Amino acid sequence: MGAGSAGAWGQAPPVIASAPTASTATPTLARPVMVPPKLVGDPTVPYPEGASGDASVVLTLTIDNAGVVQSATADVTQEPFSSRAERAALAFRFEPATRDGTPVAVRIRMVLDFHPPPPPEPKVAEPPPEVKAPPKPGKPTARPSEGIEEVQVRGARGEPSRTATLSRAEVRQIPGTFGDPFRAIEIMPGVTPIVSGLPFFFVRGAPPGNVGYYLDGVRVPYLFHVGAGPSVVHPGLIDRVDLYSGGYPARYGRYSGGIVAGETLPQSTKLRGEYNVRAFDAGALVEAPFANGKGNVLLGGRYSYTAAILTLLSSATILDYWDYQARVAYDLGRDDRLSVFAFGAYDFLGEKTATETLTLFGTEFHRVDARFDHKLGSEGAIRTAVTLGIDRTRLQNDRFLRDRLLGTRTELSYRLGKVATLRAGADVQMDRYDIELNGGDLSPSNANIANAFPSRTDLALGARADFVLALAPTFDLTPGVRVDLFTSDGQSAMGVDPRLQSRVKAGSRVQLLSALGLAHQPPSFVIPVPGFQPGGLRGGLQKALQESFGVEVDLGGSTTVTATLFHNAFFDMSDALSVTTPQVNGCPPGAFPADTIAGDPGRQPTGNGSRCSPRFPNGQIGPDRSGGGGQASQTTGDTQNARAFETRATGSAYGFELFLKRKLTSKIGGFVSYTLSRSTRTANNATFIASFDRTHVLNAAIAVDLGRNWRAGARGTFYTGLPKAPDPTNPGATRLDPFYKVDLRLEKRWQLNQRFWISAVAEWVNVTFTKESVGTNCTLNGCVEQKVGPVTIPSIGVEGGF
Amino acid sequence: MSSMKRTFGAALAIALAAACGGGNSATPAVPTCDAACQDAIAIRSLRETLKLAFNLTLQGKPVGHHDESVDCPLGGSVHVVGDATSNPAQGATNVDLVYELLGCTYTLKDDDPKQTYSMSLVGKVEQKGVIAVQPSATTALGFRSGSVSFRGSVYNPAISYEQAACAVVLQQDGNKLTGTLCGRSGTVDL
Repeated sequence: MGAGSAGAWGQAPPVIASAPTASTATPTLARPVMVPPKLVGDPTVPYPEGASGDASVVLTLTIDNAGVVQSATADVTQEPFSSRAERAALAFRFEPATRDGTPVAVRIRMVLDFHPPPPPEPKVAEPPPEVKAPPKPGKPTARPSEGIEEVQVRGARGEPSRTATLSRAEVRQIPGTFGDPFRAIEIMPGVTPIVSGLPFFFVRGAPPGNVGYYLDGVRVPYLFHVGAGPSVVHPGLIDRVDLYSGGYPARYGRYSGGIVAGETLPQSTKLRGEYNVRAFDAGALVEAPFANGKGNVLLGGRYSYTAAILTLLSSATILDYWDYQARVAYDLGRDDRLSVFAFGAYDFLGEKTATETLTLFGTEFHRVDARFDHKLGSEGAIRTAVTLGIDRTRLQNDRFLRDRLLGTRTELSYRLGKVATLRAGADVQMDRYDIELNGGDLSPSNANIANAFPSRTDLALGARADFVLALAPTFDLTPGVRVDLFTSDGQSAMGVDPRLQSRVKAGSRVQLLSALGLAHQPPSFVIPVPGFQPGGLRGGLQKALQESFGVEVDLGGSTTVTATLFHNAFFDMSDALSVTTPQVNGCPPGAFPADTIAGDPGRQPTGNGSRCSPRFPNGQIGPDRSGGGGQASQTTGDTQNARAFETRATGSAYGFELFLKRKLTSKIGGFVSYTLSRSTRTANNATFIASFDRTHVLNAAIAVDLGRNWRAGARGTFYTGLPKAPDPTNPGATRLDPFYKVDLRLEKRWQLNQRFWISAVAEWVNVTFTKESVGTNCTLNGCVEQKVGPVTIPSIGVEGGF
Repeated sequence: MSSMKRTFGAALAIALAAACGGGNSATPAVPTCDAACQDAIAIRSLRETLKLAFNLTLQGKPVGHHDESVDCPLGGSVHVVGDATSNPAQGATNVDLVYELLGCTYTLKDDDPKQTYSMSLVGKVEQKGVIAVQPSATTALGFRSGSVSFRGSVYNPAISYEQAACAVVLQQDGNKLTGTLCGRSGTVDL
């Protein structure tokens, strides 16, 4: 058998010391000396079974200050070699990199060469079956690379407040995510979906409108195409997705519930590309260096042809979405880089009539982020960026919201001696809202809500700083603070958010992590929809005090477990979803008004959609709802929704999270993600369980390498039912039925040659066809649970790349 | 909040549509709309304009006698005079009102061409009976006018529609509206 051989390491500017000749480096006396990590031992990498030909895999390794490889990612997918190389590299051991003799964490690049085994000797006799020889691995040997790679000193250790991080390679193996890193949010502990299949989540009790989405530090209004659609960024661009459920680093603010932060892949030094074709959309991404590697350009996007398919099926429904990404970077010098990152997404749901297309719902956003990055020697870096953007939502009857935004930000990271690292930044963002919601025929309650969204200009200014203090080899402390000033429609408010994170190493495999922080946020809409930002800061800023304490244990074998206790306290929160107690739809038996003469609707019982409580206050004239709502008619639901929208609540959420993961790219990988929690609200002088509280949320998945480039996976999801409205026909029930589903995934890959690969992927969300209970419907004959779904999504597609 | 509901509804509808393989209603062809069809749409426009006027002026006001005027969203105005009492437990309102339409314009676009119109109305219309929020009550209303002028368009694609000084007699039972317009019979399901 042949084997892989490893070689080619990077080094650190501006003082480069190629081990073991550190003393030869640098004329700059004041600058520290970096010594790159050195591979130790005699690692072996077997040649993959079923493969052919030579291959070279460029890996990016993150190595901690103990010399342990924390992550290994192939720059270009080149199966089966890249996954074999990634798995093998995780077992490598290094002498750690040092800065002035002190071990530090680094990220390096390594080339792993694979050579096929020599042809077998001619057989002279049939060997007995039991003597089949195992693969004979070779020894890695260094080989010259095409140039000195850079060693970047990075914070290899995760932030203590980070709930979970998943790389794209891992997410690809999780059934039900369609390979989208952002869709993996739903499996993370502390995350509770509103309804299965819809990408709107409660995070540790905070509603979807309180969760902020970022891509490379740029705020985006939403992450997913309409409904159960894919994420708005091509998966091939995403390096990793982090979820911060509370007590997040000072660089994140203006959201009081949680932060979902995606990071794009660094610029590739080689031509690479990916594509995928599925039943309902197709996407592609290509990246290429230019100017001898000084520059890099990336183009990507996705287009849904659902509309065309529906047209072929003679459907009147139009469902359309697309997205795009473009990135250009150019190194102006050794320490300076200029880059522009543009991306956006479009979604449309409409109805075709004989002569035109009616808009039911349409959203889009676009961002252009121009950045200038400057390295401050080997101690830090500073980024200055300007962001232009536009968000737009269109609704029925020519109603729309548009937000044109302009922002600028500066971010600094700088090492202050051996103990402290400063991370600081400031930003300004201006949002110009042009809104037309109130066309004159909204009901009074809806008109009041529409008036909460005036055309105006909002301004947000923020500054923040924190210090990562390595007070002892086993103890990190990160105090920080951010200050935000908000102005909107003549009102202003300021939020001061202190943050504190700590990490204590209790042995070589155990860490104690804690996070504490205050977070402020302007009033928010129910779910993230472009342009739907209430104006005027009515009711003041929302506030959340977030605290968590966890234990992270490295179990070995690429397996880690994290257990976390958390508590969030919410103040002045605008959570229209949770501030009303559940109510049944319709009139349950015995609920018909007894002290009045009922009308004769002719078709009793009808029930659904109405309530048996008085439909308007006593002494008032009721609405005219002939033929249903519309024409400014007030409904009971309108009244309740308006009251919920105006209500400010206090609340709390506490619970326990468990996340056990074995790297999903392992031969057998998987995870168990479990959350036990309770979320309550206090509003209108009453305290109750939040409407979307779920006591137990469990996600578990397994991904298996079946050999011969087959991979299979299964995932199970279970969660407790929502709180149930008092139901006279079943007075003992306090919860709706629980929900469970199973998702499956199967993939077969072919390596066409050294560069090109192609893969067939079959995936099915909710193979159990489970429906989900979302409420209680009553008629005078009885009550039944209102179910939605089953939301089941089969998908067959082809992916490929080079 | 209906926007919120629509947003949720849209998202949910898409999820369900995805589950079922997309929408399945057929693209409507382009049938013609004869005179009876046009009259029915005109009757609808009158009823929905009165509904709009009622909801913009009287809903939520104290029971009793009222004399209110309001600008219509797309031009013109309406003057409403009369009495209204209510039974909130039943969700029923008794009305005895006169609407004076002063070029009040209202437009509705719908995927159903028979519910699509843009109409400007002039004239006085009496309204008597019970307006109900179902299911514990039912609407029973009478409309009468000696002269209402219609000017605008009906249907999709739009057909020009104009009637001057037209007598109107209509009865609404639940959501069914029947009667005469300029002496011609018409029926509309709201």
